[in-house]
Amino acid sequence: MNDDLHHLAGAYALDALDDNERLAFEAHYATCDICTEEVRSFQEAASSLADGASTEPPPNLKGQIMAQVAQTRQVGPVVIDLSEARNRRRPNMRLIATAVAAACIVVAGIFGAQLLSNGSDTDDLIAAPDAVITDLDGENGQLQIVWSAERDQVAIIGSDIESPAEGSTYELWFVNADGVAKAALFKPDGGNVNDVFDVDDAEPTGFGVTIEPDGGSDQPTSDILYLGEI
Amino acid sequence: MRNSETMPDVNPIRPKRSGLQAVPATPPSTRDLLERAGRGDEQAFSALYDDVAPMVFGVIKRVIRDQALSEEVTQEVFVEVWKLAPRYDAAKGSPHAWVSTIAHRRAVDRVRSEQSRKNREQADVDTKVHTGPDVGDEVVADMVEQLDRVRVREALAALSEAQREAIELAYYGGRTYREVAVLLGIAEGTVKTRIRDGLIKVRDHMEVTR
Repeated sequence: MNDDLHHLAGAYALDALDDNERLAFEAHYATCDICTEEVRSFQEAASSLADGASTEPPPNLKGQIMAQVAQTRQVGPVVIDLSEARNRRRPNMRLIATAVAAACIVVAGIFGAQLLSNGSDTDDLIAAPDAVITDLDGENGQLQIVWSAERDQVAIIGSDIESPAEGSTYELWFVNADGVAKAALFKPDGGNVNDVFDVDDAEPTGFGVTIEPDGGSDQPTSDILYLGEI
Repeated sequence: MRNSETMPDVNPIRPKRSGLQAVPATPPSTRDLLERAGRGDEQAFSALYDDVAPMVFGVIKRVIRDQALSEEVTQEVFVEVWKLAPRYDAAKGSPHAWVSTIAHRRAVDRVRSEQSRKNREQADVDTKVHTGPDVGDEVVADMVEQLDRVRVREALAALSEAQREAIELAYYGGRTYREVAVLLGIAEGTVKTRIRDGLIKVRDHMEVTR
């Protein structure tokens, strides 16, 4: 367990991070279950500090607020907000981002590797010294990506993955601050994906998956179905 | 869902779920109110305001201190709560935590932008090094007075003096942990540790007493 990670969760819950650190931490904690739970419980603790400061507001304030509320349109509910997560990525977050991500990956590595791998090629890649395991979240579940820069290989692992329509395929993309680059094409077999691919040299900070016409595309043409940050 | 869902509309002009009057004897929970507000129910929002306004105004006032500015920010926060209510997700936290997070964040943003503006102005006329705004005995006395709320006081009493100091400066003072480190003359890593350990104690205490 990485100490830095937890220390940031506490300061984050108290809004005691400066803007850069705040953005960096936000970009990451949502993709790490442990960070998410820490933040949630610390925000509950912080709300009791807020309770402790309770002061009656001046009585005329409510009328002003209700009048403004009556003229204010609400946002729509969250359906799935992957594009927002993607836009929040900022290049200037690198430093902390790396520390936080490293801690998350350690956790993902421990659990992820045990959970999902069964193909020997995949096992082999997971065993690579520089292998990085990333969870990609999507509307219909999760994919895991194992990536080794040393070997220029990725493994894609998932189950209960819906088959793409006839004539189309899933495409995995390397994502970083500069944009996206093609990584691999894959299709589930009986809902399962467990494949290793040779890929081009890349420096991704995350991965995304779209559906593309058979043969793949050079740039994504559909909505992002799965997305995760390293 | 609540009973009001299945009851006939009391007033056909209003949106379907808005009838506060359709809810029977037990008062609705804060969560019910927030969820109904998220469906555009202004009456529910009004009741929600009554429920959380002292907390919201209190924490904002504590951080900002200026009365007029605190009122202004409180208004902004409630309008934001109204706007964002459709996105409230009970799985991610209690309504109090959700609302107080928005309020505290907004208050902190405001004091920090004020502070950087003042620092810029000050830099022109004053070469003194500013390590952060002044935190005097008055602030501390004020905090002690305000902390006179039983549960919170007990929770904070469970903290070591060092943890309490760090948490109060960060949360009520609206300081970053780096600023807290400078104010206390200790390492940044130490501040992070004190904040985290302190929050764990507060959290555990609240879980026991709730």
